[in-house]
Amino acid sequence: MVKMYGVTRVYAGGAQALRGVNLSIDKGEFVFVVGPSGAGKSTLLSMIYRGTVPTNGQVWVAGRNVVRLRWREVPLLRRRIGIVFQDFKLLPDRSVYDNVAFALEVIEASPREIAKRVPLALDMVGLSHKAQAMPDELAGGEQQRVAIARAIVNDPFIVIADEPTGNLDPDTSMDIMNLLCDINMRGTTVIMATHNQLVVDRLRRRVVQLDEGIVVRDELRGGYCGEA
Amino acid sequence: MSGMSCEVDTAVKLRTMAALGGQALRSLRKTPALTSIMVVMACMAAVSIFAVFAVNLTAIGRQLQSQVQIRVFLDQNTVPDDKEALGNSIRALPGVIKVEYVSQDEALDRLKLQMGESGFFLNDLERNPLPDSFNVSLARAEDARAVAAGIWKLTGVSDVIYGQKWVDNLVGALRVLWGLTGIVACLALVGASLIVSNTIRLSVFARRKEIEIMKLVGATDGFILFPFVMEGLVIGIAGSAAATALVAAGYLGLVTWVKSVASFIPIIRDPIHMRFAVIGTVAFGAIAGLAGSAVSVRRYLKV
Repeated sequence: MVKMYGVTRVYAGGAQALRGVNLSIDKGEFVFVVGPSGAGKSTLLSMIYRGTVPTNGQVWVAGRNVVRLRWREVPLLRRRIGIVFQDFKLLPDRSVYDNVAFALEVIEASPREIAKRVPLALDMVGLSHKAQAMPDELAGGEQQRVAIARAIVNDPFIVIADEPTGNLDPDTSMDIMNLLCDINMRGTTVIMATHNQLVVDRLRRRVVQLDEGIVVRDELRGGYCGEA
Repeated sequence: MSGMSCEVDTAVKLRTMAALGGQALRSLRKTPALTSIMVVMACMAAVSIFAVFAVNLTAIGRQLQSQVQIRVFLDQNTVPDDKEALGNSIRALPGVIKVEYVSQDEALDRLKLQMGESGFFLNDLERNPLPDSFNVSLARAEDARAVAAGIWKLTGVSDVIYGQKWVDNLVGALRVLWGLTGIVACLALVGASLIVSNTIRLSVFARRKEIEIMKLVGATDGFILFPFVMEGLVIGIAGSAAATALVAAGYLGLVTWVKSVASFIPIIRDPIHMRFAVIGTVAFGAIAGLAGSAVSVRRYLKV
């Protein structure tokens, strides 16, 4: 599903975010990417949806070398990937329903398709009853649920979550994690960068640990800190 | 990832275009579009005024040019057959539309008529001093020099006169005026494009979060750009249409005034003759709007 070969990313100014990363993630896996701030977690995730391109190396997603995608092909890649961020990235002037529908509107889905898919996505995240609420009327966990609904409404094969519990309390974080696990159970690959030791230790999924841009640990059922 | 092999259809669907058009109009309310429309209007009004001026002077110039004539004086001893042959030769020259023979008696009569009472001495002449002549009308005043040179080469011609300097000055003045109109138009285009560009930049900035999300969920460049291009186009067209309306109203007032006070001034009174100025100004506004938004979107959106 996702393969990286010798991926290095050097930013302007010489800072090295990733150094020769090799990684292979299969379809249906749930992978935590952990490591201290500045370890390269977000850069690694953005390589998958081509938010960043490597300075060296190759990134393959679903059999395509995304580094070599033409610019016009990038939107099509992103339509198959759901992305969730720590800061939710919701549009404050649109309702919950419209925020989720937005992901379908911009890919020019038909109104019928939108009317069918949005309620399903909201039902999946348990927010059907708040479809007409505005984002600022929701709690942090609910806002993240809306972001997840937007990420899955297009039925993606990968969900990328960059610190999705970073702004949430422990209980709400576990709710979000349960939701991501449900999505994973349906066959969607989930790749999540996190600092949240509690969720990593509790879920015991594959853990890829980065330190200064290098993969220092890749453990199948790991904890946040590894087998110390 | 089926379908990745084919590119995203960058053409925006009609239904989507309508939705995005609405979005562009909503965006106009959020950005200082009215200010931009006013500035575009000022730029385009300058273009319109110059265009109206140039169209009028060109019309006057054409009218004056149509009155430009070459007078060809004949040798006194030219026989009638030769005169006819000479007339035919002149008629055959390129640019000549009419050749009128004026005998020396007719020329004297015309002179008497022209001079009126002050030409009393003409009645006492023992002999008519005026030569036979041809009055040659031209299609275009610019051809006067070449036609005159051609006539000089013909036999039986004693002199050729035309208002050479006057004709050259007129042609030159019209060229300068149109050149000036072109320069003003270019400056206005650049000015209007810059202001539109600035407005679109603000619009892009105001919607940067939305744009970021659009990119992340797989919107095409065309989808993201369309509302901004529409916004620029609307500003350009609205500004230039307002300028056209303003200048047209002023011009109609001027026409009415000229008609009542100085009707001898050959101002274009039929608005249909000004249609090129109107269409040109609005088209210019549209180009400025498109160019402005394209520059801004390319520079600040980087999609």
